[in-house]
Amino acid sequence: MSLVSLFRRSRGTAGRFEELLRPHVEYLYRLAWRFTASEADAEDLVQDLLLKLYPRTAELAAVELLRPWLARVLYRQYVDTVRQQGRRPPLEPVLGEDDPLEEIPSEAEEPDAHAERMALRARLLDALRRLNAEQRAVVALHDIEGYTLEELEKMLETPIGTLKSRLHRSRAALREALAMEPSAASQRVKE
Amino acid sequence: MNCAAIELELDDYLDGRLDAVRRQAIGEHLQQCAACRERHVQSQNLLAALRTLPAPEAPRNLLERAMARFAPMQARPARVVPRWALGGALAATLALGVALGVFLTGEQAKPPIATVALQLERPETVRLRVRTPRDLQATTITLTLPENVELVGYAGRRTLTWQADLREGANLLRLPLVAHGTPRGELVAQLSQGQASKAVRVKIVLKSTGGVS
Repeated sequence: MSLVSLFRRSRGTAGRFEELLRPHVEYLYRLAWRFTASEADAEDLVQDLLLKLYPRTAELAAVELLRPWLARVLYRQYVDTVRQQGRRPPLEPVLGEDDPLEEIPSEAEEPDAHAERMALRARLLDALRRLNAEQRAVVALHDIEGYTLEELEKMLETPIGTLKSRLHRSRAALREALAMEPSAASQRVKE
Repeated sequence: MNCAAIELELDDYLDGRLDAVRRQAIGEHLQQCAACRERHVQSQNLLAALRTLPAPEAPRNLLERAMARFAPMQARPARVVPRWALGGALAATLALGVALGVFLTGEQAKPPIATVALQLERPETVRLRVRTPRDLQATTITLTLPENVELVGYAGRRTLTWQADLREGANLLRLPLVAHGTPRGELVAQLSQGQASKAVRVKIVLKSTGGVS
């Protein structure tokens, strides 16, 4: 095979890969960030995933519903990465990393309310970081992204009972974190 | 109704997964039990907080940067530079750190800083974290790979050279490697600026049982 035909084949695969993945990159990064709660780790995770998927471009093209398929392989990549790290706490505060939760208060919001909301989010993010990889993933996919347990059973190839158990423990841990200032938390949602 | 007995059902109640009979039963219990009601309110607050937790936007050109790592060097000469993630990035997979306190004058033989195990034919990203005490413009990086190890996208290249600006603090060099056989030799990353240089050596081996040394 000549260098020219190799080049053409490479560009063709690259173009197809880009066409398939571009609509999903923002979603994959957001999901990766929800898994890792770190911008640097999320970017690493997505980069590694793309690297592994590129040789499988033809397979990607044959996938009917690409987004949930990608979410599943991203989850696998994430769990593998955490395991490779020897089950060290997978998330640590990264000094110098921009805090995506930092926001400029809106004009309609009182400074105290803004500060309280930021504090709540910081506690929530910190509590998410303390969950294990599987727990954080089920919270991200179910409670945040809105996948149903039935969808996750197929996507993660995990029985619903196991998923419910993970969700239950995760929510208990997160509730505890938010309840550190119960007066703030308990007033937020009315029955 | 026993509070402990319905603890798991409260999640189903929250998620709308109960049939009408159980939903009514749990609802009536919540009317009467302050502790369970408080817990349910906290769960609702939690869900509301999770669903409004903002996520950052993906970095610009994330896909392009990833694709630059696939492309043959001949095809994309403008993109041969592996990405340098600047700032205090947290290495995710196989991270090796080295501090460039000062560049050493002349080449010095140093032992490998670490051993990395690769699985045969499975791409793995080795991340080399380099700290510099100051900005270092136009640093020449020369990467020499062991025999049977390839930088993904650069088939047949045992040596690659490029230039990059290193910023003060942590710089992250990502090297997507794949082993096609038993590696022979070491990976050497040499960073040079003018007459000064420093080499970082990493021993590459094949993974035997799935562990990473």
